[in-house]
Amino acid sequence: MKKYVFIVSACVTLLAGCACPPKDPEALRVYQETNDPLEPFNRGMFAFNMAVDNVVLEPVAKGYRAVTPEIARTGIKNFFKNLKQPVYFANAVFQLEGKQALSIAGRFFTNTLFGFFGFADTASEIDIPVYEPDFGQTLYVWGIKNGGPYLVLPVLGPSNPRDAIGWGADSLMAPLDWALKGEPVLLYSKFAVESFSKREGALEFLDSLEKGSTDFYATMRSMYRQNRKNKLENSNVIIGYDQVVKKKDYEFDFSMDEEFEEE
Amino acid sequence: MKKILSLICGVFLSVSVQAAEPSIMFINDLTDDIITNVLKSDDTQEEKFIRFKTAFENALDMKRIGRFVLGVYWKKATPEEQQAFLNAFIDFTTKTWADRFDLYTGQQIVFSGSRNAEGKSELYVDSTIENNPPVAVIWRLKQTKSGDFKIIDIIVEGVSMAMSYRNEYSAFLQKNGGKLPVLTQELEQKSADFKFSKK
Repeated sequence: MKKYVFIVSACVTLLAGCACPPKDPEALRVYQETNDPLEPFNRGMFAFNMAVDNVVLEPVAKGYRAVTPEIARTGIKNFFKNLKQPVYFANAVFQLEGKQALSIAGRFFTNTLFGFFGFADTASEIDIPVYEPDFGQTLYVWGIKNGGPYLVLPVLGPSNPRDAIGWGADSLMAPLDWALKGEPVLLYSKFAVESFSKREGALEFLDSLEKGSTDFYATMRSMYRQNRKNKLENSNVIIGYDQVVKKKDYEFDFSMDEEFEEE
Repeated sequence: MKKILSLICGVFLSVSVQAAEPSIMFINDLTDDIITNVLKSDDTQEEKFIRFKTAFENALDMKRIGRFVLGVYWKKATPEEQQAFLNAFIDFTTKTWADRFDLYTGQQIVFSGSRNAEGKSELYVDSTIENNPPVAVIWRLKQTKSGDFKIIDIIVEGVSMAMSYRNEYSAFLQKNGGKLPVLTQELEQKSADFKFSKK
């Protein structure tokens, strides 16, 4: 229940806290490009998340790495990925993506039956493609193309109102979470182990991003939004092993020739 | 077994495409060079870094990228300020990228084709890094009048490097009164303090 309270409170903040667009043309361009009218709130939340990360997530993730062999960590990562497949399946059905739904179902049954309940990724060994449609994406397919302004959620991180609602819907659909409903200790343990497992996999990446950035908040915002846009617009592209990437409507097809004289 | 087969097919595919496409050949030679002489090399981090930086500067059109990354702030700056920024930008970027060499564990890169961007002397080379899950990488190239290629952007899973730096630096410059020398100084400082991560 608690997790939905903050989504609601975030929406209230959204309505209440919208800053006016700036008048200076350059500031206005940046304002529109970043779509972040809640920047002061978001920066505060980002700082809070970074503090939580520094104190809890990162040290635990490092400890977790120190005490477990890589093969066990990969197994645990696979196990949690497998648990998400029913949610992806539901979203593929909502989006009327039959081929994706079949792949996801095939992946789930292969890994559950022949991968020791999902600890081994047997599906990838036999080249079953990976699709990960979420409910935010479903809302996009259903017509909510504009997800709203950038929004940093507590602990969960970068999002926007549409994808925050999507995240809530996806959590409601997760079968194991339903099964553990009467067992809060198990439910929170599952959430904790999943978070540490995820954080462990991103240790070097996030570390080097932060090290290389003059404004980590802006870097994360930019990368999150580009990656998310790509995922939404190219939901039919197989993340597979033998694919020919065909993408349309490049976000990055911006001009790099701003008044540049050829020398 | 099947994985090995698909890998072999992938290699053949990339070889046959290469023969026809000079742009793919250009990226293939570059990635081959970096994989062999930097990522797989047992030399010291400093030696690898110098080799990487040379390859980086030869392959990328850093002036064009730097100009794009700064946007209006480029136009407002003097040529000296622009050059100082470019030097600091190249130095710091290559260092932060070189810091990630250890993450390489033998992944192969497979090319799936190249396309022309409409109405421009630009093209895209599509590639995938074989990983689990695979990573889609698109190389954005500009062809010079003499026919050479220069990289003007690298797009990883939809994230454009040039766009990311542009958004980051414009946030930094906005906070610092739009003064380019402040950014240059920050990059120089970070570059001077930079220590390569231990494995």
